[in-house]
Amino acid sequence: MDKKDDMETAASVHPGRSSTPDPWADNVRRVAANRDRAAFQELYKHFTPMIRAFLLKSMGAGANRSEAEEITQEVLIKVWNKAASFNSSKASVNTWIFTIARNTRIDFIRRNERNERKIDIEDIWHEPESPEPLVDLQQRRAEQVIKQAMATLPDEQLQVLYKAFMEGKSHNEVAEELSLPLGTVKSRIRLALNKMQILIDR
Amino acid sequence: MVSFHPDAKFLTDFAAGNLPLSEAICVAAHLEFCSKCRSHVQQLSDLGAQLMVRLEPQLTAADAADSDERQGFEQLMQRIDAGDTGMTVTPAPAEPARVSSANPLGLPRVVQKLAADGVQSLKWGQFGKSLRIAPIRIDKSSRETALYDIKAGGRMPEHEHRGEEITVLLKGSFSDAEGKYVKGDFVVRHAGERHQPTATLDTDCICLVSLEQPVKPSSFWYRLMEPFVQYRLSGLGN
Ligand SMILES: [Zn+2]
Repeated sequence: MDKKDDMETAASVHPGRSSTPDPWADNVRRVAANRDRAAFQELYKHFTPMIRAFLLKSMGAGANRSEAEEITQEVLIKVWNKAASFNSSKASVNTWIFTIARNTRIDFIRRNERNERKIDIEDIWHEPESPEPLVDLQQRRAEQVIKQAMATLPDEQLQVLYKAFMEGKSHNEVAEELSLPLGTVKSRIRLALNKMQILIDR
Repeated sequence: MVSFHPDAKFLTDFAAGNLPLSEAICVAAHLEFCSKCRSHVQQLSDLGAQLMVRLEPQLTAADAADSDERQGFEQLMQRIDAGDTGMTVTPAPAEPARVSSANPLGLPRVVQKLAADGVQSLKWGQFGKSLRIAPIRIDKSSRETALYDIKAGGRMPEHEHRGEEITVLLKGSFSDAEGKYVKGDFVVRHAGERHQPTATLDTDCICLVSLEQPVKPSSFWYRLMEPFVQYRLSGLGN
């Protein structure tokens, strides 16, 4: 039942026209296929300052600048090593690199807490395995919607998203920091997600 | 069909990487049963990526000069060439076998990892006739994580929650006053709520449970819980 709905919706999307081409996908493909250093260097130049900025903010007070630098290197090495697992129909290079950086950051925090390492971060936060290309197509379209809607978000909604995703703060921590009731943080995030067509039922 | 899902708070904290491990494991287990939530998490990751690309890029002093930036790149490549990366190159992904002889129950990947030598190898404690509990130590958080195995038709004692309880149904089904839960459902109970889950008669039921605080016994649960507590205090031995 769900499948049929998906197919009908996706059929109206017009493959090829629906998603703007990803300017970095070809670079990752070249790294995967040919271990192409020039392609990797372009990725390095574009993404390193961004990854570093994200890690400096999200690793929190526990991390100093040289640790952030080390984790940045680690993310880039993963980009090189995991290039073959990049699937451009599922996600953009931006999203793929963000998830690698996010996972590396979680791993760093766990290492610092000296937890037992019975399980890898990637067993929990792994790439979704969706074998349905039509769903992937909708996914790529959704990404454009998110990008456009983000530009129109009111500051108070963008702020809570920023704290959650870039500063690595949970709903509770955001509420505490901004001296807001948890319900207010939740509803700001909900409003923002609705605008971006991320329609979570509850 | 899965009809109970993690709410926006769980999914957002998960996608942003801010959910403590015990809860994150429950969300990850649910995601394997639920394509809808998988696609939400993917969208939330897109959202995170869009926020990341809007950050003010952080250049190091070395990056500022173009020649030095090239030097930074050369150093990175030297590390990669030397194999000094603590990891191996990932080949193109193979399709994971969801249900295999090694995983006859079709348990989520994360649960398979936690019970690496098979579910039976966990340290199960028997509580009454129909309930077995295997505590799983994940980290030093205040959460308790465990697998529950409830015999077909078994009845859990009524209990009240002091903290939040997440239950993800991995096999079978159960019901309580609120409804019927099937494989994949993600059920959250909050502090102060009372309920009495009953596994349905037709099948055994396995759940992944994350408990914020020990459950406060409200009837004969106490008798059941006491050995569990002792069992834990004794360092999970015997
Ligand atoms: Zn779901």
